[in-house]
Amino acid sequence: MVKKVLIVDDDQEMLLSLEEGLSKYDETFSIATAEDGLGAVDELKNSTISLVVTDLKMPKMDGFSLLSHIMEHYPEIPVIIITGYSTSEMERLAREGGAIGYIAKPFMIDDLAKRIITTLRKEADGGTLHSVSSGIFLQLMEMEEKTCTVRLVEKPSGKQGILFFLDGQLLDARCDSLRGEAAAYEIFSWDDVSLSIQNSCPQRERRIHRDLQAILLDAMRLKDELKRIVKPAAPRKKPATPAKGKIERLSPVERVKQFLRKEVGEGYGIEDVYEDNSWESYVEGIRRLGAAFKAGELRAAYVDRGESKDFILVPGESVTVVAVNPKCARDRIMEALSE
Amino acid sequence: MKEIFKDILAIEDVRGVVVSSFEGEILFSEPSLEIDKSLPLFLGALGAVREADLIFEKSRIYVRRTDMGYLVVLLGLFASGAMLRLHVDMVLPSLKDRGKGKGLRSLFRRNK
Repeated sequence: MVKKVLIVDDDQEMLLSLEEGLSKYDETFSIATAEDGLGAVDELKNSTISLVVTDLKMPKMDGFSLLSHIMEHYPEIPVIIITGYSTSEMERLAREGGAIGYIAKPFMIDDLAKRIITTLRKEADGGTLHSVSSGIFLQLMEMEEKTCTVRLVEKPSGKQGILFFLDGQLLDARCDSLRGEAAAYEIFSWDDVSLSIQNSCPQRERRIHRDLQAILLDAMRLKDELKRIVKPAAPRKKPATPAKGKIERLSPVERVKQFLRKEVGEGYGIEDVYEDNSWESYVEGIRRLGAAFKAGELRAAYVDRGESKDFILVPGESVTVVAVNPKCARDRIMEALSE
Repeated sequence: MKEIFKDILAIEDVRGVVVSSFEGEILFSEPSLEIDKSLPLFLGALGAVREADLIFEKSRIYVRRTDMGYLVVLLGLFASGAMLRLHVDMVLPSLKDRGKGKGLRSLFRRNK
């Protein structure tokens, strides 16, 4: 996994010579550049950076402001300061601000490279893994109550993401410009990843408040749904005429059961299908709600009342109720029934 | 107030968001929809519902109970349900926090 190092300096010649001088390490890390703090902030937002090397005196946004931005938003990214105006006071301020290194100009490029490589090694001090499914691995992190920073790369697309664990709890996630749960959903949808573990978690702010299992489950559902949206619907086979005639003679409950068996399959969280007219006035209320929004005829209603089971109501001459597990393949069942 | 719901409104085929109090007062509507005056009554008829996903012939209505009333999202038939639920889950804590701190209803009124 090639890491990306961001070098920030308003001196164009310095940038060019650093880029050139560090290019011989391109199997270990690649270089991105920015000419001031603002440019660096954009670069940090749009790509996954492993380390920042920054000058202090720059227009628009100086090195100290950039350092403080990084400590606040990307506390896991180490920062090395390079400056031509070095004083002991500046060095003290830089270190207090969170910089892990302070180098006065002029310096040998190879010394900077050594410093970069030593620091980057710490990113994977807990080991690296290849071709794993992120979901299974992350459940292990939770079980082991690990405190760590996990950096992941999705192999097919090269996308990168980062997860922060504190005592097995997922605190935060980041992927491109996404943060928190939204980033976790994206990362958890990756099947084939390479990852490295750093045995520390500099992030302290909690942005994810839900249980890891719940997020993993939702990420899987989301992934399934997106797959179905992207994949064109397969042409439906015409049922043989006798079978169709037979279904039509069945009771509404049997008809829904057969339909679900055929369109959704066995399982998928369906617990029971039965007729229950005590839901009639409820269904009537839903119909009126639909009329208020000019939504047309009611096809199916999914109702969660916070009980151990949820209910799907199918209107007709009588109300057919499909009792489902709250973790059922809800969208799949509803899509089938609403047809 | 639009800010809170901007991600929901940005989902493809989402047509609008309505927030109503338990008493039936419409607190927020984006875009400004022509809402049947009986809407609160119908929402009340949903009783102790925590969440409802209602599929009709022409569109869908997603209802979620919040700390301060009901959040109703109007959708076309092609909107992604999972994506919507994800964004609603993300919005709920912020509604809760604001409700605790300043009183969400007054906040909605101020921004109308």
